[in-house]
Amino acid sequence: MTTSVRWQDAVLGAAGTGGLFLLWELASRSGLVSTNVFPAPTTAIIGTLQTVPLADILGHVWTSLGRIFWGFALGAVLGTVIGIASGWYRALGVLTRPLIELLRPIPPLAWIPLAIIWFGLGEPSKVFVIFLGAFFPIVTSAYRGMIGIDPALLRVGQTMGLRGPMLLIRVAVPAAMPDLATGIRIGWGLSFGVLVAAELIAADRGMGFMIMNARQLGDVDVIVFGIILIGAINLITDYAIGAVIRRRIGRWHAI
Amino acid sequence: MADPARSDVAPSKIEICGVSKRYATDDPDTPLVLDNINLAIGDNEFVTLVGRSGCGKTTLLNIIGGLVESTHGDVKVNGRTVSGPGQGKGMVFQQHALFPWLTALQNVGFGCRNKGVHKAERDQIAHQLIELVGLHGFEDKYPAELSGGMQQRVAIARALATDPEILLMDEPFGALDELTRLEMQDELLRVWSAHKKTVVFVTHSISEALVLSDRVILLAARPGRIRREFPIPFPRPRKRTDPQMIALYDDIWKSLA
Amino acid sequence: MVTSRIISGLCLIILLLLWQFAVMSGFLKPFQFPPPSRIGEAIVELAVSGFPNGERIWTHVGITLWRIIQGYVLAIGLAVPIGLLIGTIAVLDKLTLPIITFLRSVATLSLLPLVIIWFGTGELTKVLLIAYGCFWAMLSNVIAGVKYVDPVMIRAARTLDTRPLAMFVRVVIPAALPRMFAGARMALGVGFMVIVGAEMIGTIQGLGALIMEARTFYRSDITIVGMLFIGLLGFTITSGLSWLETILLPWSKGLSEVRR
Ligand SMILES: Nc1ncnc2c1ncn2[C@@H]1O[C@H](COP(=O)(O)OP(=O)(O)OP(=O)(O)O)[C@@H](O)[C@H]1O
Ligand SMILES: [Mg+2]
Repeated sequence: MTTSVRWQDAVLGAAGTGGLFLLWELASRSGLVSTNVFPAPTTAIIGTLQTVPLADILGHVWTSLGRIFWGFALGAVLGTVIGIASGWYRALGVLTRPLIELLRPIPPLAWIPLAIIWFGLGEPSKVFVIFLGAFFPIVTSAYRGMIGIDPALLRVGQTMGLRGPMLLIRVAVPAAMPDLATGIRIGWGLSFGVLVAAELIAADRGMGFMIMNARQLGDVDVIVFGIILIGAINLITDYAIGAVIRRRIGRWHAI
Repeated sequence: MADPARSDVAPSKIEICGVSKRYATDDPDTPLVLDNINLAIGDNEFVTLVGRSGCGKTTLLNIIGGLVESTHGDVKVNGRTVSGPGQGKGMVFQQHALFPWLTALQNVGFGCRNKGVHKAERDQIAHQLIELVGLHGFEDKYPAELSGGMQQRVAIARALATDPEILLMDEPFGALDELTRLEMQDELLRVWSAHKKTVVFVTHSISEALVLSDRVILLAARPGRIRREFPIPFPRPRKRTDPQMIALYDDIWKSLA
Repeated sequence: MVTSRIISGLCLIILLLLWQFAVMSGFLKPFQFPPPSRIGEAIVELAVSGFPNGERIWTHVGITLWRIIQGYVLAIGLAVPIGLLIGTIAVLDKLTLPIITFLRSVATLSLLPLVIIWFGTGELTKVLLIAYGCFWAMLSNVIAGVKYVDPVMIRAARTLDTRPLAMFVRVVIPAALPRMFAGARMALGVGFMVIVGAEMIGTIQGLGALIMEARTFYRSDITIVGMLFIGLLGFTITSGLSWLETILLPWSKGLSEVRR
């Protein structure tokens, strides 16, 4: 029964998506919308693959993925460690919270000029801005998760003889996991958005550069192709992260 | 109370005919949650369901209430097959299920509002019931600001507010202290006898079942069947220390174990 | 509580003093790390004479705010009714789920080149980009809010003879409101993110433009002032939204993050 329901959902979803693409395709082919302005998906994909060598496209994707990997990994690790530590050790929280709260409302993209001044026009400045996109949501949700732990859980741990770091590792961190997981997914989405924007503004490679460059050349096919490509990669990676999280904590915490 | 054989004479208020239940997520080869349950409950009768945790008490109550569909068989109320919830069947849920965005008073008045009762009258009814369950002064608190037992009492008041002829109560006093529990039992009996209600009551406390009900139904687990029925012919108010009661208690206790 | 606030404040002040001192002693370069004193002067300059071309800070703040409000209101106004509809009708939800998931995944600023081709580099482009980003954040939360109402609550309402319309108006919508507020807050965050990117192109007005322009004039102090103001603006509006939530939903302890 459950499997047939799942099938039904998949079929309906495919029908909806297919229907929309068909409409778009028809609108474009019938001349309702000019192909120079908004090409049909097939036109955009075929057109791009004809004009841009596949190796170039893959190169842009590779560059972008490399940047986001470093920026996000740095943000996730530092965000998790600082968030958990400042939630657990009061004194550390008093020291770090004000600075984080002060800087958090500043959108990551607003750091681009400073990043360039500090790190130059190369890779580190982009990685830094992506790092900021990941760091703030993750550090904040890790901290919230820590201070929101049900005190009863900690007390149970204490009655079983857990103390100090053991209580932290065995009870507090698992209890804060759901919040941390939310933060990680938000952080991933944000750093992805930041990546594209950073590449639009100052880069000579990467997916964002690819579409910005296409605008200068007036090549709408490549722009539409790039938008779809960026969206698809974001979707797939986000799904993969979600799947890993669900594997780890999905059984006891519905996401 | 003068008529101990009443439930045999009166026409059945609730008729449970061959009800079986298997949840969609269950494996086909596990035993049934409920297996061919047959039970007739008379008008103004007070029936208690007892049984080990997980034996299907909540499931049966939900089927009577029209919230869960049976796999086989059906339930009749006043001779008509139950097709859905509401319609004179008040329910108290095991998990309270209060609306967190409404105050205690508004939660109690919720059902009346659905019936189009005017605000003044609605508030009056709700105030009375809040008083009845001993929550005077907490009318304007939100559920999150009440203790577990207080939430439970609001849920009871909410179920009583529309004056349903049938009350389905799933461990309604489970979260209460002994004293409040005894008070609430007395109030429930008072409401029951004054307003001629039919009650199906789930509890884990044998003595509570003995004090309250006309009949105790003992359910067995997986497959969920009626293991035994115990009529309780004693007049109310009942004393727990009555030797006959103690004998019955031991009897039920042995069957349960 | 109060003492920890004081200590927090003291820490910040010490940090600022250290920064000032590090620049004055030549340890940090003033261009890379304009000291607090310079930033203070820059604020005065922006408030009195303006930058660039005499645009004063209030103009920048006002223009950025106005762009965000237009896009945000447009997005919320569309997302709430559409989301309520999709969330209520299961078939519609299943039909649209993959599309919505994909369109939400499209990086809003990656649309910039396309929207510029369509509408040029004017106001419309910026407002539409903000609206796009906000819309999907809000929409998916409205749908989820409606879809994941606690089934026990629906049951309780059904035992109280709640008719379909009343169920929707008095049970489903209130139960979905915390999630909708969370969506509105998320959408606002997206809006602030997008505006900075959108203002970096084709304008010299607005805080995003100010931040970028200042760099080309080697005025890192002004960049920092711009960052401070956009942070302050975002913080103020977010706080306002939270305040609104506590007023409107006193029963909700605030869905600070989207759970479930
Ligand atoms: N929604 C559901 N889906 C699948 N199985 C369920 C569901 N609800 C209950 N069950 C199963 O049905 C059986 C009976 O559950 P039920 O809630 O009726 O027990 P109960 O007698 O009320 O127990 P308790 O005294 O602990 O409240 C259990 O084995 C339970 O696992
Ligand atoms: Mg139960």
